Amino acid sequence: MALVKTPKPSFTQKLKRFFMIDLVKGLGLTLKYNLGAITDRDAVAGKGIYTEQYPKVRPEVAPRFHGAPRLNMDPETHDTLCIACNLCAIACPEDCIDVIPMDVEIIVAGKPRRKKVLDEFIFDTSRCMFCALCQEACPTACLELTQEFELATYSRAGFVWNREMLEQGRETVKYTS
Amino acid sequence: MHQVEIATTQETLLDSPEMVLNMGPQHPSTHGVLRVVLRLDGETVIDLDCDIGYLHRGMEKIAENRMYTQIAPYWDRLDYIAAVSNGLVWVETVEQMMGLAVPPRAHYLRTILTELNRIASHLLWLATHALDIGAVTVLLWAMREREEILKIFERQFGARLTCHAWRVGGMPNDAYDDFNKDVRQFVNNFPKRLDEYETVLSENRIWLSRTVGIGVISAEDAIAIGLSGPALRGSGVPWDVRKSRPYAAYADMDFDVPLGENGDTYDRYLVRLEEMRQSRRIIDQALEKLPDGPVNAKLPKVVKPPPGDYYHSIEGPKGEIGCYIVSDGTAQPWRVRVRPPSFINLQALRQMCVGHLVADVVAIIGTLDIVLGEIDR
Amino acid sequence: MLLLGPINVLNDLLLKTGLSAETVNYFVWPLIQIGIVVTLVALWVAYATYLERKISAFMQARLGPMRVGPWGLLQPIADGLKLLTKEDFIPENADRWIFFFAPYIAVASAFIVFSVIPFGPDWAVIADVNIGLLLVLAVSSVGVLALILAGWSSNSKYALLGGLRSSAQMVSYEVAMGLSLIGALMFARTLSLSGIVGAQGSDSIWYIVYQPAGFLLFLISGIAENNRAPFDLPEAESELVAGFHTEYSGMRWSLFFMAEYAAMVVVSAVATTVYLGGWYFPFVYRLEASGHHNLYVIVSLLVFLVKASIILYVYFWLRWTLPRFRYDQLMDIGWKWLIPSALINIVLSGVAVFVVQALNYSGKVKTIEHLDRGLNMTAAGKGIVFGIGVIGLFATAVLLARINWRSRDFNLRVQRRNIKLVNLPKGKPAVQTES
Repeated sequence: MALVKTPKPSFTQKLKRFFMIDLVKGLGLTLKYNLGAITDRDAVAGKGIYTEQYPKVRPEVAPRFHGAPRLNMDPETHDTLCIACNLCAIACPEDCIDVIPMDVEIIVAGKPRRKKVLDEFIFDTSRCMFCALCQEACPTACLELTQEFELATYSRAGFVWNREMLEQGRETVKYTS
Repeated sequence: MHQVEIATTQETLLDSPEMVLNMGPQHPSTHGVLRVVLRLDGETVIDLDCDIGYLHRGMEKIAENRMYTQIAPYWDRLDYIAAVSNGLVWVETVEQMMGLAVPPRAHYLRTILTELNRIASHLLWLATHALDIGAVTVLLWAMREREEILKIFERQFGARLTCHAWRVGGMPNDAYDDFNKDVRQFVNNFPKRLDEYETVLSENRIWLSRTVGIGVISAEDAIAIGLSGPALRGSGVPWDVRKSRPYAAYADMDFDVPLGENGDTYDRYLVRLEEMRQSRRIIDQALEKLPDGPVNAKLPKVVKPPPGDYYHSIEGPKGEIGCYIVSDGTAQPWRVRVRPPSFINLQALRQMCVGHLVADVVAIIGTLDIVLGEIDR
Repeated sequence: MLLLGPINVLNDLLLKTGLSAETVNYFVWPLIQIGIVVTLVALWVAYATYLERKISAFMQARLGPMRVGPWGLLQPIADGLKLLTKEDFIPENADRWIFFFAPYIAVASAFIVFSVIPFGPDWAVIADVNIGLLLVLAVSSVGVLALILAGWSSNSKYALLGGLRSSAQMVSYEVAMGLSLIGALMFARTLSLSGIVGAQGSDSIWYIVYQPAGFLLFLISGIAENNRAPFDLPEAESELVAGFHTEYSGMRWSLFFMAEYAAMVVVSAVATTVYLGGWYFPFVYRLEASGHHNLYVIVSLLVFLVKASIILYVYFWLRWTLPRFRYDQLMDIGWKWLIPSALINIVLSGVAVFVVQALNYSGKVKTIEHLDRGLNMTAAGKGIVFGIGVIGLFATAVLLARINWRSRDFNLRVQRRNIKLVNLPKGKPAVQTES
């Protein structure tokens, strides 16, 4: 433990040292916080309480928040917007997504054509790291990461979501007290 | 498994004054899963060995099997406290390999958000360092400031901690609507808070007794070991990658670099506090000078850098974080290697701790500001 | 008058049951008092834990316990229930009987002290022993034994070392505690705690005015005696585990916890008694003069509780603001800073008393009013003592500087070093910007 060289103190500094002014200043600040918390002044700029009493108070979640995934549907026809292009599965670094297409027959300009539509969509949220590469890859804005963050389930299998869960959302209990 | 060099208890005699103590991987003060084996003579440390690898996730190997754009979210998990910087080093390395020029608005926004990230990381460092030494209140005050920054990150990127902030060629989204207002509000409130931390700690005689002269490393030793970041600047070595090889918009920014004198814990503490102030100054300037324009460069369909290797480093909060990519021309890199600042800084631990007491080891680990995610990858 | 009623009624009832007046006065009433005091102290200790959490939370800009009961007021009860239901296990080769008894010894030594502390005049003190202060110091020392026994019987290397360190710290600071009290005793002229309060009352002063250094010394050594921050290294990190109570769980651990808080309350109570005037507050005695005797006692009791709570607040305040000392710095402070200061304090108090008495008996200046209970002085006498106290502070500073001139911490002279800000030259940019 080397003795570091420090300049000699002046008389006022010696007095301050004797009366422990450095400790008193720190103590004064915590006292101000204590009194400020009781009167609960502005928490961000002042000295009030900064706690958000979740779950009584729901937190404010940003619009861009990478939360639980959802498959969007057309608001009028309630058909899925997914075109089974598989881009999200290719973009995903963790291989969470499994897009299972199926062929359906449709008539286009009088001729029967086969169109690929979505059959089943498996999303493993336990492997997901919520990086939103899938959301960016989706060309039709179908796959979207919502603001839902309460994703806990009682079993590991509960983390693997199928198409219905992704479209309707999951029933979660919101505790408010 | 790495063979720990210090003799285990079977070899030390029962009546010898030496004792081998294991600060195990589960310990509140080792900032992650770090195992430190100490050989003590009474309370004085005479030898020290670190055992790492408890958080090894094979990131560099994973990177060999992913595309360049897919690797970016993994890179956040290296130094998980300062994820934005890690993302930046990856993205800039790839951009330089491909010769992409990023629009200036993206550079400025990158600067602002990376400096916010630096402040957040230093706040966490201050919180845990003060907690280890005993001033618990500073932990919670620093967390409150950090919370403000994380809110900005959430609104901008969508995630608070592991943000996946940047994309090759720029940013995924432009700044959100209230970005200027939020950052401005943070910048205005912040100096007052820093003064509060200084009031409680910087002149406090107990803090001084615990940090002055503890963990001294001289400038020559620091350079020899390869330290970087505040650990290096605390010893007085004037090296900052933001100045020597400016990246993002740092070439246009006007800021100072704090340098310590004695290379002890107190100097590193002051250096980091001052760095927070300088970061605030940079954010202020960048917000003033923020140009308009696009935030994305034009990218090819698949990101395939030309074959060859490239190294680029930036000044992360913990030190100089670098990325060395060897590309073979395909969409997936051949080999990626991270220059982790915490790993190299940790090598100084033995030299810093020998001769001090056990209670100082905790303070010294705190002052090196290590993050096991980076050390173990 | 209303408050006089129930006590007299109860007294009459007891006498009617056939017990002699002596049995009632010396046996039944003390039992009732003990019951009340133990309940009061147990509640005080439990709610001290609650207050610590709330106050620390407010200092940290957060809320503290809020869920259990309104404003979290039932938190101590919830904690107690939780600890009662935890598994009670004893380490493998531990010394069973000592392991059992160590927490009880700690709690007992902390609680026994309350029998001599004067919560109020008259019937608000259980036993007004005439060596009260000595009893307090002696019984608190027994608490150290509990620590050593706990560490020893745990059969764990780290618990043993932690226990020995904690007890070494406690013993060192007890010396300083005892010595710092002697200064106040010279003015009170009695060891009985009620007598000390009475002396302050009859002199119409709080001894903190005569003994500012003594008060500080007592408080600091009391905090170190209780192993509280900033002196809590053995507890916080001792050999990197929890110190002497590592192997204790559930109710046994909570007994140590209670013993720690009860010891804090003891030190607060003794500090208020000796330095802050105990239950004495100017003008409250007028309640007695006007005949409301029981009301006077109860108001004095409240005054005492408020003062002791203020000192308890100081405990919490210091813990949550200041960092902690390293063990060698801690022992350094105990032996090389506090004990010399306490000795100087004794010498100076003696000089002050001598000067006052000399001046009085020389006939020139009247400094002593009467020697009824303690040393009662006139304004001149008080001024002289206060002046000597202030000079004493500086004399202490000089002495401490001479003793500790080689100490590393004393040589940390200028207390904030400034670092250099350098505007390094900029190199070639590493990235390209699309313009």
